Amino acid sequence: MNDEKLMQAAARLATDVRPERDLWAGIEAAISEPVASRWRPMLAQAAAVLLLVGATSTITYLAVKDTSPRAIVTTPDMIFEQASFGNRYTLGPGFQDARNGLVAELNVEFARLSPEAEADIKANLTMIHTAINNMNDELEKDPENTLLQEQLLRMYHEELALLRRVSGLSRNVMMRNDI
Amino acid sequence: MAALLTAETSDYSRAMATVSTDAQAEEAMLIEQAQRSSKRAFEALYRLHIDRVYGVCLRMTGNVSEAEDCAQDAFIQAWNKLHLFRGDSAFSTWLHRIAVNSVLGRMRKSKREQERIMAVSDETPPRLETGDSGELRDLSDAVNQLPEGARNVFVLHAVYGYSHDETGEMLGIATGTSKAQLHRAKRLLAQQLKQEGFEA
Repeated sequence: MNDEKLMQAAARLATDVRPERDLWAGIEAAISEPVASRWRPMLAQAAAVLLLVGATSTITYLAVKDTSPRAIVTTPDMIFEQASFGNRYTLGPGFQDARNGLVAELNVEFARLSPEAEADIKANLTMIHTAINNMNDELEKDPENTLLQEQLLRMYHEELALLRRVSGLSRNVMMRNDI
Repeated sequence: MAALLTAETSDYSRAMATVSTDAQAEEAMLIEQAQRSSKRAFEALYRLHIDRVYGVCLRMTGNVSEAEDCAQDAFIQAWNKLHLFRGDSAFSTWLHRIAVNSVLGRMRKSKREQERIMAVSDETPPRLETGDSGELRDLSDAVNQLPEGARNVFVLHAVYGYSHDETGEMLGIATGTSKAQLHRAKRLLAQQLKQEGFEA
């Protein structure tokens, strides 16, 4: 079948298909539920983000202060999913490049840190990833929600900042060891 | 005779235009009432558009229960966002965009689960009841077996007639990517149909 015939046949495929059951009952039930305040969950999310940012900053600061001997080589088991932004937008190539570069360095950096510092950093990254996933899920439901968009962007920045701090932290350690 | 034909054609066109205008006016009235929280009007809009919304959901997901969930979700979202509809595009297009978003959201969410299921199951996907007949049925089956990206573009562009710009916007991909995915879809479909003995 050549391209032209294929496209002609495709245009003849049924565009309207009657569902096997009437879906209205489910829709009606959903739209009849009392509307919960939209601000309450949003404010809760904003508070959670602020708490998360504070917690990650504190833990990373404590990790930076850690001066215990470091020699154990480990492999990071963190999963860095493709950065997404709801289901409408994608983050720019600049962010992706910076993130990919830092993630690639993470393996090397962990090898130079103490297990405690590594665990702290992994815990931070996991918290950030959980928040990112939750926000992406919410954005799928409400893609126009600018507050959520801003929060998600902030979480991606936070992730990048943490990766940068980890990178700098290990380099500092190396310098101290060299001395 | 020619004059008669012309007159008849003209009468027919006018009649069709009147029908179309009446339908549009009725739909506009229903939208307005639904925006004022009339569930009855919204149900009428649902009855007008469900077949098309379900159709795109079914063709994109290739799964009856997923398609039902997506169609249901699309109408629930449409109800919640109805106040945002300003009539810049046709209501059906607006609704379609919501349905496509719903499908994409669900696909992404269940991707890992689907991969896990597909890894342990080699069964051929069940034939979709789309109302197509004959050779079109085979094409419909072949479309259903396309990889997700190629299938989504093929369905929106080749079946539903959206331009590459519109398709790209709906799927959150570049226009060029939409064109490339269409090319890929056509190549895969040609291979698939050739294997099944459909050569023209």
